Amino acid sequence: MLDSVRDHRTLLSMVVVPLIALPVLSLFVVKMVTVVERRAGAKAQTIAISGAERLPGLLNALAGAGLKFVPREDLEAAIESKEFAAGVEPVELPDGRKEVRIYADLTRQDSEMAAQRIRAALDQFKETNARIRLREMGVPDEVLTPFTVERVNVAQKKMAGFMWGSVLGYVVVFLMSSGGMYAAIDLTAGEKERRTLEILLSAPAGRSEIILAKILATTTAVFVTAFLTLASLAVSFVYIGRQVAQPMLKALSEGVPLDIGTLGLILLALLPTAVMIASIMVAVALFAKSYKEAVSYLTPVMIAAIFPLIAGLLPGTQLTPALALIPLFNVCQLMKEIFLGDYSRLSLVITLVSNTVYAAAAYYFAVRVFKSESVLFRT
Amino acid sequence: MIQVRNLTKVFNVPKRGVVRAVDHVSFEVRAGEIFGLLGPNGAGKTTTLRILATVLQPTEGTAVLGGYDVVQQPEQVRRQIGFLSGDMGLYHRLTPREILTFFGKLNGFRGAELKQRLSDVLARLGIENIADVKVDKLSTGQRQRVAVARTLVQDPPILILDEPASGLDVPTARVIEEYILEARNAGKCIILSTHVMEEAEYLCDRIAVIHEGRITATGTMAELRAATGKERLREIFLCLLGLESLERKTSRAI
Repeated sequence: MLDSVRDHRTLLSMVVVPLIALPVLSLFVVKMVTVVERRAGAKAQTIAISGAERLPGLLNALAGAGLKFVPREDLEAAIESKEFAAGVEPVELPDGRKEVRIYADLTRQDSEMAAQRIRAALDQFKETNARIRLREMGVPDEVLTPFTVERVNVAQKKMAGFMWGSVLGYVVVFLMSSGGMYAAIDLTAGEKERRTLEILLSAPAGRSEIILAKILATTTAVFVTAFLTLASLAVSFVYIGRQVAQPMLKALSEGVPLDIGTLGLILLALLPTAVMIASIMVAVALFAKSYKEAVSYLTPVMIAAIFPLIAGLLPGTQLTPALALIPLFNVCQLMKEIFLGDYSRLSLVITLVSNTVYAAAAYYFAVRVFKSESVLFRT
Repeated sequence: MIQVRNLTKVFNVPKRGVVRAVDHVSFEVRAGEIFGLLGPNGAGKTTTLRILATVLQPTEGTAVLGGYDVVQQPEQVRRQIGFLSGDMGLYHRLTPREILTFFGKLNGFRGAELKQRLSDVLARLGIENIADVKVDKLSTGQRQRVAVARTLVQDPPILILDEPASGLDVPTARVIEEYILEARNAGKCIILSTHVMEEAEYLCDRIAVIHEGRITATGTMAELRAATGKERLREIFLCLLGLESLERKTSRAI
């Protein structure tokens, strides 16, 4: 373990990435998003307009919504050339009805924002016009609103947990694998490359003991990466949420489920997965004769591990007892539910037990591989 | 202390097929003796030593070290031996002290006993001043001393040394050789492999010449001289390998 942590590659993936690179990257992304949104918002304030005289009151309605407008004949060209974010044009239909067309490029954020603002202004304008006409006819305004509609989010306090859990589990599991990868390689193919394996095999320790030690060392690296990732993301999201005005990010920083019980349960859930990941990586890396070869063997393993993670990101996915048998997917979903504070004990037990079985199977596989001379001394 | 009978090791090598790296090799080594395995590259020396060190398992035959069989009782064998591989096998990011501590603990030493043992071994090999320098900062000679120190940390009765002075300058090689002689005089059973004639002649009480996995001759220098009619070990060696006529032709050409 001491030898492995002095390896720069292991330290980088186990400590530097979770502690420094992740928060810096998160901060950078948030800042970028904030800057882009601010710029888009500023650009969305000025729109192009054509044929405003066809709909009296339109200009006042748009001005009332804080929009500035410039007359242009060809609205599509004006938007395609990015001179304006969006455009509006009232037209008269053949049947005599009036239609207001909103021109926007929905691939651009500023254009979409401008279109939404125009839409909101026009909705308000429509309602105002309707109220005026009703009053002229002597009909009270209340006819327009027989009832109001309001959405009540019963999980308001759980939003932070939901947002956390939806993404964090997958980030943590993925980073665990990459954090443990270099430790696994250093302890297997690295020993072959450095020619230290023979000496170790001639020491008075059984093969099972030696491979157990290597798997424990790799598991430690995997687990430390998981812990540092969780800790640094927690700190960085709280910090970021307090620095920016983004409503979503504010929600992330408030009600963050960082109590000892939640974190302890998550780390417990991750433990058998960490052993499984470590055992598989050690076993696969043993086949390699060098560091480089081991990386080429483990890369497809890492890619294959992404699929159950991606499956968990699909909307509506829930941890049922049957799905709790799928490795990696199960622990990510369980983490999501733990963050929500709403997990099924049955699913928790099935997840823990099944992952423990998989960890045992992976360990057994690693021991078998380590006892094979043709693998250890591959030429 | 070492009894080897019909030891055989067969490998299945892709593209080469079946390779008999060690072919019915038999010999014995007593306590207080240095036994040399002399042979060219690829002769089977390293494979033989790896089997004795329980790194590889034999395909056929037996090897008993200190009363323990390498196949049936490998862990007991490992407690009896100090193994020096041809590549030194040092962890470059650790210091000599850390390496010796690690292997000392693997051999069951703890606390004050381990500390004393480390101190003795470091002093004996003259590496106290580099004990806390990482291995990757050491010279080849210093690394080899550390490697030798590692084989001695548990004071094993049997030493298995694969080319112990290979690649070393003369002064460093002499330190290693002197240590080996000292260990022999202390009653240790030592088997070493080499392809350096001078080293074999200087160190070994008995020599086995191994070629293509088989031992062609075993004996003291006097016995080998008598068997071949040659004086120098180099000539004895070439004669036993059947390469004597090749050398004569080459010398004439030069």
